[in-house]
Amino acid sequence: MTVRPGGGRAIVCSFAAAIMLAATGCRRPLKPGDPLRGLSASERNRFDQGKLVFDSVFTPETGLGPLFNANGCAECHEDPVAGGTGDEVERHATAFHQVAPAGARQCDELAGQGGPVYQNHVTAALHTALGIDSEPVPAAATAIAARTIPDVFGFGLLDAVPDSEILAYADPDDRNHDGISGRPNRFFDGRLGRFGRKALVPTLREFNDGAFAAEQGITTPASPTEETVAGTPIPAGTDPAPDPELTEQRAELADAFVRLLAPPAPLKFSREAREGSDVFKHLGCANCHVPTLTTGDSPVAALRHKQVAAYTDLLLHDMGPDLGDLCLGLATPTEFRTEPLMGLHLMPQFLHDGRAKTPEEAIELHGGEAARSRDLFHALPPGERAALLAFLKTL
Amino acid sequence: MFRLVLSSLLVAVAPTLAASQQAPHDSVRGAVRVVDARARTLEVTTGVGMALRVVRLQVPAAVPVTTSSAGSDQLALSDLKPGDVVRVTFGNRTGALVAYTIERIGRMATGVIPSP
Repeated sequence: MTVRPGGGRAIVCSFAAAIMLAATGCRRPLKPGDPLRGLSASERNRFDQGKLVFDSVFTPETGLGPLFNANGCAECHEDPVAGGTGDEVERHATAFHQVAPAGARQCDELAGQGGPVYQNHVTAALHTALGIDSEPVPAAATAIAARTIPDVFGFGLLDAVPDSEILAYADPDDRNHDGISGRPNRFFDGRLGRFGRKALVPTLREFNDGAFAAEQGITTPASPTEETVAGTPIPAGTDPAPDPELTEQRAELADAFVRLLAPPAPLKFSREAREGSDVFKHLGCANCHVPTLTTGDSPVAALRHKQVAAYTDLLLHDMGPDLGDLCLGLATPTEFRTEPLMGLHLMPQFLHDGRAKTPEEAIELHGGEAARSRDLFHALPPGERAALLAFLKTL
Repeated sequence: MFRLVLSSLLVAVAPTLAASQQAPHDSVRGAVRVVDARARTLEVTTGVGMALRVVRLQVPAAVPVTTSSAGSDQLALSDLKPGDVVRVTFGNRTGALVAYTIERIGRMATGVIPSP
């Protein structure tokens, strides 16, 4: 047996490295766009197949339009990889009445007039037929709002959080008198909503199917009818693809890709960031940006009974008049769903319309139920303020 | 195929597309958007995700309006309020959607009750 000089030390080092890897689960950090850990071969295959659908570029002949915001999912959800954010800004519009008109709701989502999503682009055929370059917003709208592109990393985990957990955080009448209400939104069939900036949409599958229809003008078996042009049916001859323009199988695969995307791994905590985590709780930020949610049962083991560092309660909160814009379902113009902070370090802009360019600016723009936390932030000594911002930049 | 799609629903049916159908029986679950008891019309908001649709229905006087919360008690059309969650079966007659049955199953409300 030949023993090389230093061989013993090398073995010890390798052993130590092995122990360290074991302690960290032998895992490299997940990168944006990676699938959840622990997928079965079949689930991983669906994820990969779904990414192909997500990355597809559609044309009018394959279903695009006639009204659309993007020619594929990845045209908007592109930064830093498929599933991420993007620089597109959408137009949404609704009508909110301080007093409900006779026989009608206070909030009109303008669903009968093409709303609430008003597409920024039209196909050449629709342009020729109507002479428009985008969908006109009807005069009935009381608010037209900008909406930025959210990343969809970790959305499968949010989908798997049981209603009961979300409702446990709700305090619509502020019975504990902490100034934080937390109201559930409901879809039109009464189910609890959770997706979208106003928490209107109950499930991820509907969020995705609805996006094919509203963002790309692509009909699916679940949403088989085209958008109207502000309430007027699209002219004959402007939509060459037969409905549904996307098969159930392809819609399901696209959903699988989004559902199985891992949440972004938080960055390594510095000592300052660790202190900032305490400041976050001390200021009351965690009352709405609940650090951890727990998923319930799921047919996908990687989604079942998992903790997700979402930093949201998925409920509506009044954010004050300066941020107010649309109503949607039960959400009044000033109410927004607590934005999940997971993946915050990947975001180039903040708040629902991107008006804040830094997390600090976003905090400054909080109002309503968050006004007290904002004021406490103002009053922080510079060191604690820096610590809080350092913490946020790790999320 | 199209009938299968409609039957699968989740979904609203845009009147123009539905008008081309001969499906005798479809259903929709959504929230009352507008109810006009005098004109006997009902509009229901529904949809998938952010792709929202409105189904506009005529409601003949003989159409049963019931509620699931109190057995099968009979309601008047005028008892329905905007924001009520309803399940409606309907068909297409001479280009218009006509309700066959209307069941009130809950209400869009912000409380912490489970979904209906």
